[in-house]
Amino acid sequence: MKNTADIVIIGGGISGVAIGYFLLKNGAKNVVIIERDYLTAGATGRCGAGIRQQWGTELNCLMSKFSCEFFENAGSHLQYSSDIEFHQGGYLMLISTEKELEQTKKNIAVQNSLGIDSRLLSKAEIKQIAPKVNTESLLAGAFHQRDGHLNPFHTTHAFAQAFKRLGGEIYTDTSVTGITTEGSRIKGVETSGGFIATNCIVNAAGGYSQQIAAMAGVALPLYSERHNILVTEPVERVLSPVLMSFSLNFYCQQVPHGSFVMGRTCDNQPRDLRITADSEFPVHMAKTITAIMPSLNKLRMLRQWAGLYNMSPDKHPIYCEAPELPGFYTAAGYSGRGFMLAPATGQSMAELILGLTPTLPWQRLGISRFEEGNLILEPSVV
Amino acid sequence: MLEKTGIPTVADVDAVFPSEARLAQGPVAVIECFQRIPCNPCATSCPRGAILPFEDINDRPAINETVCNGCALCLTKCPGIAIMIVDMTWSAERALIKLAYEFRPLPEKGDEVLALDRAGNVVTKVEVIQVLLNHAMNKVPIVSVAVDKSLVKTVRNIRLDKRGSAIVCRCNDLTADDIKDLIAQGATSIDELKRVARLGMGPCQGRNCIPLVAGELSRALGVPVAQLSPGTFRPSVKSIALGDLAAYNEEGDIK
Repeated sequence: MKNTADIVIIGGGISGVAIGYFLLKNGAKNVVIIERDYLTAGATGRCGAGIRQQWGTELNCLMSKFSCEFFENAGSHLQYSSDIEFHQGGYLMLISTEKELEQTKKNIAVQNSLGIDSRLLSKAEIKQIAPKVNTESLLAGAFHQRDGHLNPFHTTHAFAQAFKRLGGEIYTDTSVTGITTEGSRIKGVETSGGFIATNCIVNAAGGYSQQIAAMAGVALPLYSERHNILVTEPVERVLSPVLMSFSLNFYCQQVPHGSFVMGRTCDNQPRDLRITADSEFPVHMAKTITAIMPSLNKLRMLRQWAGLYNMSPDKHPIYCEAPELPGFYTAAGYSGRGFMLAPATGQSMAELILGLTPTLPWQRLGISRFEEGNLILEPSVV
Repeated sequence: MLEKTGIPTVADVDAVFPSEARLAQGPVAVIECFQRIPCNPCATSCPRGAILPFEDINDRPAINETVCNGCALCLTKCPGIAIMIVDMTWSAERALIKLAYEFRPLPEKGDEVLALDRAGNVVTKVEVIQVLLNHAMNKVPIVSVAVDKSLVKTVRNIRLDKRGSAIVCRCNDLTADDIKDLIAQGATSIDELKRVARLGMGPCQGRNCIPLVAGELSRALGVPVAQLSPGTFRPSVKSIALGDLAAYNEEGDIK
């Protein structure tokens, strides 16, 4: 292990490896990533790995559009030896209330103005795209073909391999045990593998980012909440788009391997970093999905698990340098969207850390917005 | 010993082997059925009546070696793969042994395969003389191998020495070499292999593959299996149809 680094990234999930890749790509040197367990062991390896560009604010549309375009060209960007399994079957948003319909119309106007070709669908048009969907309880749908989903493991490894090719080093099975400071200066990171002297730390610890920040005496207005997900046995493809609905509270996709992966937001979830299984979740999930796709009735669930959403007060990420500790950067609080935002996170954090001209309006995502009461109001977050 | 290890001793094998005189006359069945169990398909399988009728379903098979002509029909009927055919007259130096072989892939005629003893140890290499599988064979292929006559009481099975041939994860079609390659690329835990290769994530939920993979990891890393994490086992224990889950009600009934 190196005993000195220009930049130490804490966290080997999709955000950490993407930040590492974009830092090296933009000229940084001597960057290391520290991962407590193995790459993707946290929320990245537990997520649905969907990406949608159907948002209600310009900020989110631009960030997700950037990410989608990066994933579309990931082959040439990352030169990965395997396949990141980007299936662009679109996101099909199912609308079941008048309020949702009105909001969707506004959202589509914003999306279209930014070059996102989303459109409103009638019930008949929903049937054309997803014939197995029961449209009885629906009013309409919204669809964007270039949305989709990826394999989170391969996508993370693709970034990690590119990072290493550019000279970065990754230390897995290595825990951060402390952050050494002197006054308001960072001196280094203490790890289970030794001390690394550095003046620059990137906190990309996802569900555990608050704990990492606390080691540096930095307070973040975040908490982590358990979210549940399940997977079925694999079958022939019968669903191409990701189905999602705010009013019906679910998302569901069929991955290229054939399995259905689905989740929903449940009440009363622990916020103490627990990721044990919620025995009620599969029942509610099954009731929801078999109502909307009755043909899944006989499909068997194989497994359920949970991961952490790292929540911020306005459900948007924080990209910042800690005001109280220069050189301590945080990229966290994605509120369930860390995977889809990863390329935007990587690009934005590289620009923030290296002092480059912003490609995306990431300055809007600073931590001062909470004190200033300048929250981001996105109508289309879960 | 047999009761503890499942492996018959030399004396056990001698006790059921045909006489030298019978072996010298041509192919004959050897039935290694050492315990009384309620099983009798062999007794009704022989068209010549060489396997004597059972008085009790728990009887051990007895063979009239002068009636048996070594046709091998009984091999395909024995659920315990306890029968083989030995032909000491096949050539001057080598005997022909016919084995019921239920693994895939099958060897091909002319292949050189590893010969195993009754404990599964590799004894020597032998030549495959014939591979038979047709509709009359109860889905049990018969592989004939030529064995040095001195080893005719030793060789009891074969193993293919082809790289990549052994399926480890049946749900997701991963071979032993796929697993070895992933370990060589840096995977150090079962959970990592699960995430990269979907190992153990199919309908069997790791029941078949994970013990095998733990062995591979143990050998590759030099760590005892007991010290390896078995990976995370997740609910449900058994797969459940979404429709059955959805039918769950407050009374707690699941169909």
